[in-house]
Order: sequence, then C-alpha cells, then structure tokens
Amino acid sequence: MKVSTRIVVFILFLTSMAVEASTIEMNVNGLVCAFCAKGIEKQLRKFPATADVVVSLEQKLVAVALKDGQDIADAELRRALTNAGYTVKSIQRTDTPLADVRARIKQGKP
Amino acid sequence: MNRWPLGFAGAIALAAPVITTAKPIAFADGYTVMTEYGAGTMTEAQFFYAPRYDFSVGGGHVEFDSNETSTTTRISYARLNYLVHRWNLDNAQANVFAWGGLGRATGNSFSGTRLAENVGAQADYETRRIYGSLKTDWQRSAAFDYRIDTLQLGVAPYKHDYGGLATWFLVQARQYTGGLHRGTEAALLLRLFKGGVWVEAGVTNAGHLQAMAMFNF
Repeated sequence: MKVSTRIVVFILFLTSMAVEASTIEMNVNGLVCAFCAKGIEKQLRKFPATADVVVSLEQKLVAVALKDGQDIADAELRRALTNAGYTVKSIQRTDTPLADVRARIKQGKP
Repeated sequence: MNRWPLGFAGAIALAAPVITTAKPIAFADGYTVMTEYGAGTMTEAQFFYAPRYDFSVGGGHVEFDSNETSTTTRISYARLNYLVHRWNLDNAQANVFAWGGLGRATGNSFSGTRLAENVGAQADYETRRIYGSLKTDWQRSAAFDYRIDTLQLGVAPYKHDYGGLATWFLVQARQYTGGLHRGTEAALLLRLFKGGVWVEAGVTNAGHLQAMAMFNF
C-alpha cells in the first residue's frame, strides 16, 4: 500500500473515531427536582451542536447527543451548567448512542 | 376553632424529615407564574422572569383579609428576587433566597393609596425524598405592618425522575402578624408536579382550603 493511501486511510480512521464520540455524559451535583432538570436542558439545547438531551435525577447524569461532526468544549459545558446553577463533577465522551443511555437509565444502571 | 389537635400536626412534622416550597427563581431564562389561595387570609398572584439562575424580576398582587379585624388590604408590587447562596450537594440542594420590592396599597382601613415595602427571605433544603423550607415575607406601609412566616416540611413517598410525576405530602405551619390571623395556622397539603407544572392543595386546621399552582416555562 502506498504511503499516500495509508495516510488517507489513517485520516479516515481518525475521522470515524471523532464521529463516534457522539455523546457527552456529565455527572452533576444538586440534581434533585424536575425544575433543575428543565433548567439544565434549556441551557444545553441552546448549543447548535446539541441534537438531544437526557437528564436523570436518579443517576445524577446529564447526557448530550451531538450532531454529526460537531462538538461542545468542556469549558463551555461547565459554563452552561454553572450558569444554570449546578456543579459539574465530571465529563466523559462516549460513543454510546443516546437511546442506549436512556435504556441504561430506565434499567437503573449507572 | 382548631379542628386538629396540635400534637397531631406536630407528630406529622416530626415524621416528615424535611421539605420544598416554591422557589422565587426556577431556572435561568425561565418564567414563573404562581398563584396561591391562603385559606381566605391571603390570596396572591406573581409573575417573574429569571435572566440568570441567581435572580429574577417581576411583580405580584396580594390581598390580605383579616379574620380578626375584618380589614382588607390589597397590594400590587414590583420585586427583585436574589439567590444569596446555593449548595449543590451529592444528593441534595440547599438555597437561601432574599427579595425586596415596592408597591402601592389600598384598603378599607385607610384612605387613598400608600407606598408599600416588601422584603423577605427563604431558606430551603431538598433531596428527592425530603424537603424543608422556612420563609418570611414582610409587607408594610404607614398604614399596616404584616409579616407572614411559613414553615413547610415534606416527604415524598417515592423518588421521582425527570419526566415523571413527583408527589409530596407536606405539613405547613404559618403565622401572620399585624392582626391578620390569631395563632398558628397549620395545613396538610398534597403537592404534585410534572414538567413545569406544580399544583398543591390541602386543608388547614380550621377547615379552610389552602391551594397553590405554579407554572415554569
């Protein structure tokens, strides 16, 4: 395989990896009521990159599905949650579809 | 005449570990419409907009009907609510709010309109199973001086999640000063909320209706 072909394949591989990181999961403190969740959802839906949002009070989890090829920086996420009045404990990026996150929440799995 | 023995109300208060009263600021960039019927002594409607999570502006109208002196006082006011501090804990949230405002008052115990001042504060603590809040609201002018102190303690029979129906059982104790109501008024309340809609209703120890509805959007 030519070097140029290898580079193209490698770039395509990296691109596919980036696309797969389609969901951001955040652990949030202070999530105790529906109004908390509603406020957070409202803030996160303002990002153009947001495709959907799931909030679980039980898991203290806020998950954001990203639109294809788009992203939201950690600093912006932290700022949005702080501006909504809540404290972000951690941020993870995963390739888990939001539907699977919903199913996991429904099953009560962390 | 009190229809409940005070011990019964006290026992309920002790059994309910703690509560949530309605917050004057729901969430950033959110609107709150709230109306309360306070057992015939106080009827109030409020509208607030919160540009940020820590303050809201708006106004309201409140009518006080004294069951001691048969006086009626109506106050329309503009108000600023401020979240003094919030504690976001692992499984709980606690808040301290303060507010202040000005309005105009009319009534049958004085002539014309009077400038009315309003200040108040609220502290609350809430988990998904227990709730407690203590609120004081002071309305005064040259013609009257009313303070309404409200304690709410609540327990949820189950942990609700976002999108589901939240159910709370509450005991409320309320004291009015300024000749509005003699003694402490106790009430048992059922609170339900789902999405941005919150309703609660119950009965006081004198058998009067106590009800509140709030909409956040």
